[in-house]
Amino acid sequence: MEYFIQQLINGITLGGVYALIALGYTMVYGVIQLINFAHGEFFAAGGYMGVILLAYMTGAGYLETHPFLCIAGAVVLTMAYTAFLAMGVERMAYKPLRYASRLSLLVSALGMSIFLSNGLMLTQGVFDKPYPSELTHGGFDIGNITISYLQVIIVVFTGFLLVGLNLLVYKTRVGMAMRATAQDKIMSSLVSISSNRIIALTFAIGAGLAACAGMMTGFYYGSVRYDMGFVPGIKAFAAAVLGGIGNITGAMLGGAIIGLVEVFGAAYISGQYKDVFAFIIMIAVLYFKPTGIMGENVDDTRV
Amino acid sequence: MRKRLLTLLVLGLILVPFAVSPAAAKTLKIGSMSPLTGPYAADGNDIKNGTLTALEIFEEEGGIPGFDKIELYPQDTACDPKQAVAAANKLLNLEVVGVIGAYCSSSTIPASETLAEEDIPMITPASTNEQVTERGLPYMFRMCGRDDDQSKVAVQFIKDSLNADSIFIVDDKTTYSQGLADGVEKECEKAGIEVLGRDHVNQGDKDFSALLTKAKSTGADVFYMSMQNHATGSLMTIQAKRLGLDAQILTQDANMHPNFIKVAKDAAEGVMVTFGYVDESTPEYKKYAKKFSAKYGEIGAYGTYAYDAATVLLKAIKESGSTDPEDIKAEIMKMDFQGASKMVKFRPNGDSGSNYIVFVIKNGEYVKYWDPAKGKL
Repeated sequence: MEYFIQQLINGITLGGVYALIALGYTMVYGVIQLINFAHGEFFAAGGYMGVILLAYMTGAGYLETHPFLCIAGAVVLTMAYTAFLAMGVERMAYKPLRYASRLSLLVSALGMSIFLSNGLMLTQGVFDKPYPSELTHGGFDIGNITISYLQVIIVVFTGFLLVGLNLLVYKTRVGMAMRATAQDKIMSSLVSISSNRIIALTFAIGAGLAACAGMMTGFYYGSVRYDMGFVPGIKAFAAAVLGGIGNITGAMLGGAIIGLVEVFGAAYISGQYKDVFAFIIMIAVLYFKPTGIMGENVDDTRV
Repeated sequence: MRKRLLTLLVLGLILVPFAVSPAAAKTLKIGSMSPLTGPYAADGNDIKNGTLTALEIFEEEGGIPGFDKIELYPQDTACDPKQAVAAANKLLNLEVVGVIGAYCSSSTIPASETLAEEDIPMITPASTNEQVTERGLPYMFRMCGRDDDQSKVAVQFIKDSLNADSIFIVDDKTTYSQGLADGVEKECEKAGIEVLGRDHVNQGDKDFSALLTKAKSTGADVFYMSMQNHATGSLMTIQAKRLGLDAQILTQDANMHPNFIKVAKDAAEGVMVTFGYVDESTPEYKKYAKKFSAKYGEIGAYGTYAYDAATVLLKAIKESGSTDPEDIKAEIMKMDFQGASKMVKFRPNGDSGSNYIVFVIKNGEYVKYWDPAKGKL
């Protein structure tokens, strides 16, 4: 039982990270029906921006004296930077193709993904960059179950972001504009909602969440690497599809399911098949319910 | 008319460099194959740089009679068998006389068969799988040790020095890492050490919490981590420490890399590694190390073997005065000299012997710990 609970905690942590990335996929799909394959790269860029800022703060000596302030500052700056990066990518690679076929848009996204990850490799090198993870070491034991502070922070912070996002989308005017754009771009622009601005904003929010996930995994795993966006990107995409692409709650649920399935697959069967389990679940769900778990109300609540 | 003359003049000028290029300039072409991109790029670049260092030192010391310069054609294999074969074909087209590489055993094996079609000698500085030199290829040589030797030393160490009764083994499913892990498992069974678990991870995985929780729950004394990629190794080490895995972590040569410690930091303390013993006090090592670090920075594990491999190839060409594979081979078989990594002496099958010892990571450095012949150092 202890073993089960320990694995459950591992799974929830991983699921939280996937959920944060999956949200970006699902939101962008909601507004422009694009699978943004460059989204995993926003996650990696966030991880790197975080380590660069933290290295700078360590050099200046602030990290030692004010660790929490520094990390909080780094998170905010990283999210802002990645949000701007995403808006830039949208402006350059997707906006010119707004009325082109969806296939052109998809190819553009793939190209952007390759461009960004190779750009990271060329500017930051092929080696892993270590995170100052000493700050977040430690944890506590309940019986034989070890929970690290970092796991708690990741789960709490993810929950906080998810609630925040839900409030933004369902309780604010901006959120209402986003939902309107998702439903009908032409109609919403007739009521003076700038669809270009809303699309840029959607990219910015999605990338900000991914950047946050990138920093959290940096702390959690201890390092970042230029190609770190690819595998989590694919998994998060699977999570978004599993939950019903275009649906925010679905993406969260999908992320949690993929994380748990992976961990339990590795725990009770074998580590080498954990990716297989994640995708089997996705295929199985899509076979019985092609719109994904939460996909039935695709037309009215998607963003 | 004037226009036509002008055109002729310009055309003539363009052709000048081809006409006056000295026909006597002869270049000795050497190929190298290693993963220059992708997850193994760190070790792959060390191999390229080690080879280049050998070329530079050789040229400084007089070069090879009959050749004006020695040129290296580094190829990227990305640790992908298909790309390795393509790289081998490219080197054949470039008409190289010998190849240093590759890194991953899974690349070296198919690439060597392509090179064997044209009888091009190949010396691997890093591929430790037994099969590399066990296929009867006449011009295949190996500068580093073999997995079967390494697994024997590892298990002897587990038994004699750690006095452990049980082990949990994990690998990342490459020809090299899995072969080595299989060897350790077999040797453990022979030695009466109980194998409490055997698992695999995928390349590129970052989350090992499930696997490590499983390893912890078995209560094994030793956690044997066979990872081809030291980046994966360091991530696993960090997570193991965080999860409170008490087992002694023992790993293999691929994790002998400065970046392993740089990333894992405190978590790396106490991790033990089997690796070929390199005597860093010999003048040969010092000469190499000075040159390498001045130009390429920190010395990675395989740079030294690549340096020796390239030195062996160039020496053989120089001393035999020929680029014929049979002459090169005859010369290589005669060799007996102190290289940067070890005493260089080849066996008929192309192996040059193993010298595995155990290192422990202490205060952020790899420290020699145990020698199979001498016990604790």
